[in-house]
Amino acid sequence: LSSRLVQVNRVERPEQITEASARLRSELHSRAVSTSHLLDIFQKWSKGILESEARHVPGAVFLSLWLRRNTLEPLLTRELGQLDGTWGTEEKAQFQSFPIGVVGHWPAGNVEVLPFLSLTCSLLGGNAGLVRVPSGLVEITQALAKPLETADPEGIVASRTELLTFPHTELPLQNAMAGSVDGAVIWGGQEAVLAVRSLPFPHWARIQVFGPRISIAMMDRHSWSDEEARKKWCTRLARDVWQFEQQACSSPQVLFAEHGEPTDVPRLCEDLAEAFAEENRIHARASIEPYLTSRIAQARATCLLEDARNRAWFPETPDWTLLLQHRSEIPLPTQGKTLTVIPVPDLADAVALLDGNVQTLGLAMGDPSRERLVAERAARLGVDRIVRMGTMHVFDSPWDGTELIRPLTRRVRYSPTANF
Amino acid sequence: MNSLDARIDELLVQAPYSYRPEEQASSMLELLRERLLQAAAASATYSNYLSHWPIPVSHARSVAELPYLPVSVFKQSPPLALIPAEQFQRVLLSSATTGQQPSRIALDSLTAKRMTKGVVSILRDFIGPERRPYLVVDEPATNAAGGELAARGAAIRGLSPFASATTYCLKRNSAGELSIDEDALAAFASRHRNDAVLIYGFTTMLWTQLVRQLAQKRICLGLSRAHVLHSGGWKKLIAEAVTREEFNLKTAEVVGCASSGVIDFYGMVENLGIIYPDCSEGNKHVPATGEVIVRNALTLKPVKTGEVGLVQVCSVLPSSFPGHVLLTEDTAQVMASHGCRCGRSGLAFRFAGRVAKAEARGCGNVEARRMEQFAEAS
Repeated sequence: LSSRLVQVNRVERPEQITEASARLRSELHSRAVSTSHLLDIFQKWSKGILESEARHVPGAVFLSLWLRRNTLEPLLTRELGQLDGTWGTEEKAQFQSFPIGVVGHWPAGNVEVLPFLSLTCSLLGGNAGLVRVPSGLVEITQALAKPLETADPEGIVASRTELLTFPHTELPLQNAMAGSVDGAVIWGGQEAVLAVRSLPFPHWARIQVFGPRISIAMMDRHSWSDEEARKKWCTRLARDVWQFEQQACSSPQVLFAEHGEPTDVPRLCEDLAEAFAEENRIHARASIEPYLTSRIAQARATCLLEDARNRAWFPETPDWTLLLQHRSEIPLPTQGKTLTVIPVPDLADAVALLDGNVQTLGLAMGDPSRERLVAERAARLGVDRIVRMGTMHVFDSPWDGTELIRPLTRRVRYSPTANF
Repeated sequence: MNSLDARIDELLVQAPYSYRPEEQASSMLELLRERLLQAAAASATYSNYLSHWPIPVSHARSVAELPYLPVSVFKQSPPLALIPAEQFQRVLLSSATTGQQPSRIALDSLTAKRMTKGVVSILRDFIGPERRPYLVVDEPATNAAGGELAARGAAIRGLSPFASATTYCLKRNSAGELSIDEDALAAFASRHRNDAVLIYGFTTMLWTQLVRQLAQKRICLGLSRAHVLHSGGWKKLIAEAVTREEFNLKTAEVVGCASSGVIDFYGMVENLGIIYPDCSEGNKHVPATGEVIVRNALTLKPVKTGEVGLVQVCSVLPSSFPGHVLLTEDTAQVMASHGCRCGRSGLAFRFAGRVAKAEARGCGNVEARRMEQFAEAS
């Protein structure tokens, strides 16, 4: 499997995985790569993605922005204190961050750039990465890796990376991968996360899990009372809904709209419908799984049949759906650009519904002092990110309440004998 | 009786597949439109649904433009109905897989009567009109009297108008397992060796409880004039790698009939009064009491011949529940748009499977300090 190129390899036998892991471990022990050098490579890779066919991959712009030095350097400094490892001294002891070793990555199959986002976090911590690429992402991952050939002619990234693909149902291969790593990053829905977590990892392995969670948007009555402001917020929310087919943890599934008069809310929905239609014109869907079409049809019908006061806005196609529902709980997500709008007389009623299942709260608030109260209450109830609506997918470390790179490192304490 | 009812009853007595497609399309549009408006008048929430459809019912130019309900809306208790509960004559239940809610279909006496007439009209076209001895590959308890009737029971009962006498050939043993009632089966076979008979069983039960058992013992029932009808899906047989050809040949072998006498039919409790038997060409057809549209999952427009899409079924028969225009969770391939080599008019199609269920997945979090595409507008 070893090669100077970063490429996805199909594996069929557990030994292929253990051998790949052994090669990575040996490479890690034989030489250190400076973080600064890695950042140079990533910077060139970032540019290469936008200049190659890979730019058409959904999320390529995100990946490209992530790989830039001016994104990563401040993040590394914040999390690790410095770019390259030197011993820091405190009284009689010294401290330094070291990689945990070979990190296994199990990215979800619904976000195209996830294999590389996950991998690069571990590489920046000085680790090597063994990535299980979901079968539906093999070609896309290959396309995203292509610009690395120019960005990294020495094959530094390739020497620390193994991209493997095999069916998720192949338990012997899953077991082999879990057994040959020192840490893991697991992404996905409940079923996938539970399945991977139950694999036989070494007892020392450090495991990070991202997902499954949902995200919510909220607007106070002041934010949308003015027509111009309302239309801007609608456009921002539409963009948050459109990204990643509304399948990301950070995708808003529900909007709680605080109203003065309940009759105002349909006006907000009409502006939202206009923004959705416009977003759909710019970023139309190219394909859809039939199960999603069924689920969207079901969501539309269930909403309107449940209560004659409920309303909905949708085109003839499954492209997008707005459901105005009168209910007092957070509904199950439909995804596929289906947003449920729930009117509330007081935003505090909606905030009380939040819990640890909510990752991101996107806010549109006209009252800053109230915003602070909402943010603090939401954080206390389990929400990890409270951001402005329109930027729900844009976030810095920490991610899901956890730093991105530091958890993939070990903080080593050294107490020199001469100090005693 | 109003004119809508009269027109529906007229459809039930005419030959089900000899219509002219153009006339059928316009008459079906009118009948369904009337049905939808009638249903909306009976239910405020259904009326709410229709009023939100992008094309108003009165403006629809074809059946494809009429509002459809996803079939999953019937998976609720109490059932989604157009009549008050005290008028329910019976509630039909679909066969739900483990852990899933079954559909519940409320019937009043008129709808129940039309359901029977609809099925009889279709089956006559395939097996002829005569009553004949009826062998049910199931146990009698499946068709027991009661307020709720499951899909197997409904299918058994739906074929009873063709029965002169009914025999059940399965029974439960002391361990509660189903097994062949050998005495009942042997008596039926010897008594009707030279008669035209009807045999019905759920596809998996017919295979596992009868055909496989008799084939292992090399038994042939010698019922050369039998029609063997079966329904209920192939999922379990696919898992056992049983092909349609193998199923038909083996079944014909143990029954002793021609393999053309083994007929698979598709039916769903929600698409009341309509079943879709395979024709001699292996296709399914649409009777005069309904319509089928195969829709592209991305555009929801009808697909072209040869393409696969989501199946929408229509029926003018129900008056007790809004099952007139339904988007199913099945997929089908359109084999021909206008008629089949078997001589039946209209759309010819074949089922392709069921849409896969998928978990509403989580995390695809993406970190970026800035987003070119979106930051500028926010």
